[in-house]
Amino acid sequence: MIGDLLLSIFNTDFLFSVIRITAPILFAAMGAVIAEKAGVVNIGLEGIMMISALFGALIGYWTQSWLVGVLGAVVVGILLALLIGFFAFKMKTDIILGGIAVNMLGAGGTIFLLYMFTGMKGNTGALVTRDLLIPTVNIPLVQSIPFLGQVLSGHSVLTYLAFLFVWLIWVILYKTPLGLNIRAVGENPNAATSIGVSVEKIQYIAIAFSGALAGLGGAFMSMYYSQGWNSGMVAGRGFIALAAQAMGRGEPLGTMLSSLLFGFAQALRTKVSGMQGVSSYLVSVIPYLVTIIGLVLYAISTMNKLKKRQVAAKGAE
Amino acid sequence: MSDRRLLLFNLLRGLAAILLALAVATIFIFLSSDEPLTALKYLLVGPVVSFKATGNVFNTVSFLTILAAMIPTIFSGLAVCVMFSANQFNLGGEGAIMLGGFVGALLGIYLHLNTGLHQVVCVLAGAIAGGLIMLIPAVLKVKLGASEMVTSLMMNYVVMFVILHFLNFVFADRTKGATQTFPILETAKIPEIVANGTKLTWGFVVALVFVVIIALFMYRTKWGYAIRMIGINQSFAQYSGMQVGAVIILSQVIGGLLSGMGGSIEVLGRYNTFLWRELPGYGWLGITIAILAKNNPIFVPFAAFFIAYLNKGCDLMATYSDVPSEMIDIIQAAIFLFFAAEQFLAKYRQKIVVRNAQRDLALQEAYADQGDLALPNVAGSQGGSIS
Repeated sequence: MIGDLLLSIFNTDFLFSVIRITAPILFAAMGAVIAEKAGVVNIGLEGIMMISALFGALIGYWTQSWLVGVLGAVVVGILLALLIGFFAFKMKTDIILGGIAVNMLGAGGTIFLLYMFTGMKGNTGALVTRDLLIPTVNIPLVQSIPFLGQVLSGHSVLTYLAFLFVWLIWVILYKTPLGLNIRAVGENPNAATSIGVSVEKIQYIAIAFSGALAGLGGAFMSMYYSQGWNSGMVAGRGFIALAAQAMGRGEPLGTMLSSLLFGFAQALRTKVSGMQGVSSYLVSVIPYLVTIIGLVLYAISTMNKLKKRQVAAKGAE
Repeated sequence: MSDRRLLLFNLLRGLAAILLALAVATIFIFLSSDEPLTALKYLLVGPVVSFKATGNVFNTVSFLTILAAMIPTIFSGLAVCVMFSANQFNLGGEGAIMLGGFVGALLGIYLHLNTGLHQVVCVLAGAIAGGLIMLIPAVLKVKLGASEMVTSLMMNYVVMFVILHFLNFVFADRTKGATQTFPILETAKIPEIVANGTKLTWGFVVALVFVVIIALFMYRTKWGYAIRMIGINQSFAQYSGMQVGAVIILSQVIGGLLSGMGGSIEVLGRYNTFLWRELPGYGWLGITIAILAKNNPIFVPFAAFFIAYLNKGCDLMATYSDVPSEMIDIIQAAIFLFFAAEQFLAKYRQKIVVRNAQRDLALQEAYADQGDLALPNVAGSQGGSIS
């Protein structure tokens, strides 16, 4: 019986949905990675996703082009991130408070803006038509591989982009001068200043990157995942992305793996909540609980490493 | 004297931030509304004035409902004050409030006690539930170094869904169409101070009492001092022998206790059953309030009043004009950004500080010229300038 259950869960559809659900979290989590590397805590990812999701859908509708919509979402994401940056770096607002402010704009401000622009309340309804959704692609060759093809092929353009960004962010961080500066600023701003790196400029660049990525995540939500914008759409994904970054030790690959774990938990939740005799509410807890447990496990492993190092240091004396 | 001038400056600076936020709101209202003046009227004076054909009169009932709306936010504001003072960005107030309300309501439904005792038991249980749940992010932070911000955010969702599960599958009153619990017993309900339907309950008095208690705690006790010191400089606190871990946990548990208490008082004072279907939002409001109050408990009621007033204004605006009530979030975000900005108008503060210093120096020279070596008040005034 349990075998049947497992089979009904772990099929190609399920694995396909894991990847689909992971993508928006991955975008935002990569944003968290690059910001944290520069020593910037961007807790506003959630709000940025909400607002750029709205503008992605609206701009796509106004221009009747999904591509312009996605680009618009990215621009809006960058502008919002720079707003947080301006208040944090120039005006010395605590950056966490700046992020919370943007989250507030994301929660209520979006409903206001939507009404202001369209007169609609709470969701964009049928504005985002089928032609305006981000298109899906079938990868030649891969799609004909049995099982794997069904899992990996047929995703939206942005889904592939999300996973591509894991590699790109790694390249930027570890293979370019910009990345070196970002890491230097994050690890020791004084040392970075002493060799002539402008801490503020690098932090602006890093937070702008995180805004752009969160913007892509937002566009993915409204222009593909939910097929339209609604007020409860992002539902904590920006926060989960922060957790994924923490769990992934701030490294692109690790963060991707923890994002996949959340994607898995979320997909499991969707799957199981449709079954009889299962409380959909308790199942809904899974992704959030997984986050907390993941953070705890990560923290324990770090502590153990530290302890081992201390023991080793003592032994060496 | 210079102290007073700086205090005045800080007050004016806060006022400027609020005015700027309202200006932003006005721009949005003019952009979005066909009747911007009506909207503004209801937003700014609607909460306390009723517009009648015979003239405008002060609306006492409406004013009292604003006071009533402050009850949970005073508690959540105090909670955030304590936690943020220790530099603990714990955002779990939402979950703790909902949990406190739920626990309080359950005891109010299933426990049979005499009125008086019943409310006290329910509220205390709600507070303890809130305090216990905050132990999780606090202990994880201290013992394992896990970010309290991330764990508390995740915890909010866990708390919400677990409560919804129990609400739907265990404690639901199946005779009602909507998902809600059985009615809270009359003995557990917190009565209004004057029975007039404004929901201004004795909880308001309790909230004000806690303002005083928390203010005394933060500024007149060893533990309160330790909390503030850790917030200012954790390493210094550690080297001077404070039990930093214990104090960090304490600050968050107090935050949880206050949040849970606010939640239970709100549920027992306002509703007949427990019917929150989502996180109530008071936790986030608490953050705004703590920022407006500069983490000083004494200012919390004023900040809570301001926010409650704005909230009411936004609701009225949405009812009587075409501007959606979500406007409140835009105003709040703007207040947030400007109010918390240390550099906002910093140039002027710099000028005041410089002027004070110059005046002190001039005084000093004048005294020196007279051969008088006593330098009155110089150290004191400079000490005040640095804050």
